[in-house]
Amino acid sequence: MRRCLSTILICAAFLPAVASADPLKVVAAYPYIGDLVERIGGSNVRVLSLARGDYNPHVIIPRPSFIAHVRRADLLIISGAQLEIGWMPPLLRQANNPAVQTGEPGFLDLSQYVTLSDVPTSVSRELGDVHPEGNPHFYLDPENILLLARAIKDKLVQLDSRNASYYEDRYREFSELWGKKLVEWTQKMTPLRNTRVVEYHKVFDYFVHRYKLQIAATVEPLPGIPPTSKHIEQLEAVLTTAPARFLLQDVYNPEDASRHLAEKLNMKLVVLPHDVGSVKEATSIFSLFDELVRRISE
Amino acid sequence: MIDILFSAFLLSAVLLGIHSFFGLEIIKRGIIFTDLAIGQMAAVGGAVSILFLDGEYLDPTSLSFALAAGAIVAFAVQRTDKPEAFIGLLYAFGLSAVFIILSKSSHGMETFQKLMASDILFTPLSEIFKTAGIYAVLGIILLLFYNRVNGLAKEVLFFVTFAITVTVAVRLAGVLVVFALLVAPALIALRIKKGIPIINAWIIGTVVNIAAILVSYNFDFPTGYTLVLLHATLALTVSLIMPVCTVRGLQES
Repeated sequence: MRRCLSTILICAAFLPAVASADPLKVVAAYPYIGDLVERIGGSNVRVLSLARGDYNPHVIIPRPSFIAHVRRADLLIISGAQLEIGWMPPLLRQANNPAVQTGEPGFLDLSQYVTLSDVPTSVSRELGDVHPEGNPHFYLDPENILLLARAIKDKLVQLDSRNASYYEDRYREFSELWGKKLVEWTQKMTPLRNTRVVEYHKVFDYFVHRYKLQIAATVEPLPGIPPTSKHIEQLEAVLTTAPARFLLQDVYNPEDASRHLAEKLNMKLVVLPHDVGSVKEATSIFSLFDELVRRISE
Repeated sequence: MIDILFSAFLLSAVLLGIHSFFGLEIIKRGIIFTDLAIGQMAAVGGAVSILFLDGEYLDPTSLSFALAAGAIVAFAVQRTDKPEAFIGLLYAFGLSAVFIILSKSSHGMETFQKLMASDILFTPLSEIFKTAGIYAVLGIILLLFYNRVNGLAKEVLFFVTFAITVTVAVRLAGVLVVFALLVAPALIALRIKKGIPIINAWIIGTVVNIAAILVSYNFDFPTGYTLVLLHATLALTVSLIMPVCTVRGLQES
């Protein structure tokens, strides 16, 4: 009798895994992740993105539903490299879902699958909001998107192996399409090679470096610290002797300092999207990069 | 979700208990923005700790700045006939000091915000119990001594306990939530003719807290801001429709 009971209990424990015809519940930290998961997971996943694309990705105001979603999730995907450091740790703690805690199979940190730039060599953080793991805006390098898509595909296969071929097929389809777009974007960006640009925040580093543009300066004296008058003065001096053509501005930081500099030094102020949903044209991971390329190359 | 909503409610109830007392007192004294000034000076302490000590001793540093601010306000209230102007300037001083200190800091705004204020939704139960413990001790001290001492001793007791209360609360719920819980229920309670003001403040505050948490959950609004909005809406409405002459606390003092 006891044996019978324990067999039933063991079966019951495995029941949800066996009988999961339900789609995999995936929670993504940012919309670009959500879009990638949808492309690869298709109808076998149900995705929800926590942050809004048009907000500062470093600062997120939590709502009660965040906790509910993370609590019910089978898989939580973060961008990582401490981009979510201000809001994800307490959210994970309050949601109290053992399946998606750091290190568990239901947790995926995308930053682990790419090479980060600007990794500080010393531990003393003398340089503003420098993330000790490196610049966390790696997803704006279009080549990295393929690596991220593969990491997501591998994770979906691991968690839902019965649908492995489905995920493999969709991933292959995605990477072929992405490969074609990469060629197109490279063609459009090639004429801009070696163009000198100024950034407000170091959010477009990876994109700019991919197409071999040169970053002349940043409007912020240090990451996360608003421009000071002395820094603006230095920028004006530097950019007068060695001019830059574009000033790249994100959608969430104040534009006034950038506008002043752009006007004074005859640079073109270009507001670029940094995530899906940050501008109305960027509705998907494809149109995000289409729009990045269009805005800077037109 | 009940547990999360419950801990948000528990935190708001713990804060409301002691803040109602201070709220009634600061309205009577006409020094309403004292909590903002003290909270801001606690933030200066936090910024100093981040700049010079790499975030070490954050709690003692911000508490000592808060206590210093409390002492300064206590002194100013005796010295000046325009305490609100003094307190407002102290707040402005604190706010700009934080920005100036952080512009030279190795961490910047992000780290600072993370360390200085959490969201009411994200407060773990253990923190709530710890806070309840601190407030219970402060409450007992006030209950035992507040009406027995006079003059400067009374002022010192008031501002020291107030500074500790505000510093602890701001870290858990943010400066706006603390301000709303402090002022709104007390303001309404002072306009009600029946009953004891602090009991009225507790009842009103609790009803609004519950309503705010339910509204925030149902409409998926940020919980802290919903709390502030409902408290403010009710207090503003009551202030507009109830005649001033019934304000009892002011008549007494």
